[in-house]
Amino acid sequence: MNGQTPQHALAHRALGTRVFYAAPLLALVIPLFANPYTQFIVNLTLVYVLVTVGFNLVLGNLGQLAFANTALFGIGAYTAAILMAHAGWPFWAAIPPAGAAGAAAGFLASVTALRGIRNYYLAIVTLAFGELLRWSYIHGEALSGGTDGLTVRHADFFGIALESETARFYVFLLIVTVIVKAVSNLMRSKIGRAIVAIRDNELATASLAIPTGRYIVLAFTLSGFVVGIAGSLFAVLIGQVIPESFGLIELILHFAMVLVGGLGSLFGSVLGALALTALPEFFRPFPGLYEMFFGGLLIVFLLIQPRGLSALCAKRWPALRDRYYRER
Amino acid sequence: MFFLQLALSGLAQGAIYALVALSMCVVYRATTVVNFGHGDLVMAGAFVVYLLVVLAGLPFPASAIAAVALLFILGALIEIGLIERIKAGPHIGFALMCIAVGYLLRGAARAVWGREVLPMPRVFDFPPVMLGELVVTADALVIFSAVGVLLMLFFGLFYRTSAGRIMQAVCQSERGAALVGINVRAFHGVMWGVGAAMGAIGGVLVAPLTLLHPGLGAGFLIKGFAAMTLGGFGSLGGAVAGGLLLGVAEQWVGGYVSTKLIDITAYLVIILVLALRPSGLFGQAVAERV
Repeated sequence: MNGQTPQHALAHRALGTRVFYAAPLLALVIPLFANPYTQFIVNLTLVYVLVTVGFNLVLGNLGQLAFANTALFGIGAYTAAILMAHAGWPFWAAIPPAGAAGAAAGFLASVTALRGIRNYYLAIVTLAFGELLRWSYIHGEALSGGTDGLTVRHADFFGIALESETARFYVFLLIVTVIVKAVSNLMRSKIGRAIVAIRDNELATASLAIPTGRYIVLAFTLSGFVVGIAGSLFAVLIGQVIPESFGLIELILHFAMVLVGGLGSLFGSVLGALALTALPEFFRPFPGLYEMFFGGLLIVFLLIQPRGLSALCAKRWPALRDRYYRER
Repeated sequence: MFFLQLALSGLAQGAIYALVALSMCVVYRATTVVNFGHGDLVMAGAFVVYLLVVLAGLPFPASAIAAVALLFILGALIEIGLIERIKAGPHIGFALMCIAVGYLLRGAARAVWGREVLPMPRVFDFPPVMLGELVVTADALVIFSAVGVLLMLFFGLFYRTSAGRIMQAVCQSERGAALVGINVRAFHGVMWGVGAAMGAIGGVLVAPLTLLHPGLGAGFLIKGFAAMTLGGFGSLGGAVAGGLLLGVAEQWVGGYVSTKLIDITAYLVIILVLALRPSGLFGQAVAERV
């Protein structure tokens, strides 16, 4: 622990836990100050917190490059939208299937890992799988509505109609807090430690009788679950699900959030989403500027601050140091 | 006859894939970096040609040479200026860097050209050749001969000259090559340049045939990967064979099953090959058992 006494470490850990619980409680008052548009951006930020947390599981904690994240996001959104628009399910009932669909897609995207496919090869499989899913959104007109997409109306969360941004905010905040806490616990469990160990040294991990292939698939599945739920929230927030929302333009945003926040850091995932969610709106009038900005941002961070904002924060306030990520 | 005609037009398309896959393979073999932004370099090559031909009014051959030279410089600069500087970091960093550069190029193209789709005036305008009942279009002829000459040049250089032996040496062992006095860093820069230039030739050849748009690169990237996996990842000859096969397979799928499926043939090839026979047709094993 970089020369700290164990007491210091424990004190920091307790402070970190307090920060963890204080943040959502403080966020409760946001609707008092926000107008509907800023509230919408805040809600979108919550969605992207989940997207980044889920993606970071694979990209940062597992250390595996993957391209399927927008497709997982999309399948969550489509599952929720199809269940709500075609089958008339209430929103709350559509959330678990969206997570399950994301998990299933994450499983399929990575299942070749069991055959020993790793690194670049696995990344390329996820690229192909993601594009395949996106193709099916466009051509599966009967279910997905093709390029016109699906419209989601009348979201209902246990009898509460989510008509206003404020109502959505409280529901989203609850879901996001629960999931972020769950991922935090997961990373401290045997599974989480195995996933991080695979990133650091797969051979050494395998020598501890940990079936690394299965844990890689598990990491993708869990990531798919989290991102799938994010997709269902996205569907309700935007009110419309179209294939374009889950393309390459979206992918660079996911990459940027993980990297700018901090690879492998849960706190960083939240930071990345907070820092970048509002930005794409500014670039809308200028074609190309969006891709140039995020491409440039990635380059700058890779060169100057490859551990992202969370490492910067941890240097300044040691209490915020990530428990699940140690500098090598 | 239909079968053969499809195969023939597939080969013309496949020749482009072969070139793109080979150019990606060159960078991968030389530097062990998979360039996830390579498709955008191909796109950039096509766009530079468009710019020079349509806006600057230069003749096609001169524009083509200028575009390829420009992309060589760009490729070398990316390696020396960006990739080399994060060499000490984790592998995922190189991949993210390549992705970032790709997006930067795509964004730059979109900023200049906006959202339009651009047709380029036809360059190869001579009548098709008949082989019995088979029609060989002028485009196909040009592509075949250009790619054929390039491949002969490349493989001749790689296997027959001393420069090629240096390349092979670095590919086999960077440290060993450095020990016998080869400048490995300069070599990496040059190979990135060569890869980018070869990709750009692919872009230059398709520029007069397809509608140009900044998103062109993503398709090339996936087709290049599909060709590489099909031929065996990292095998230079395999990349060429894989590209040709992929082109033919796409046409057969389109002709006999459904044209909708042409787009996803490459994705399916990647998934099926890596799931069923990860070493591809000619490659060494990629799967590591731990």
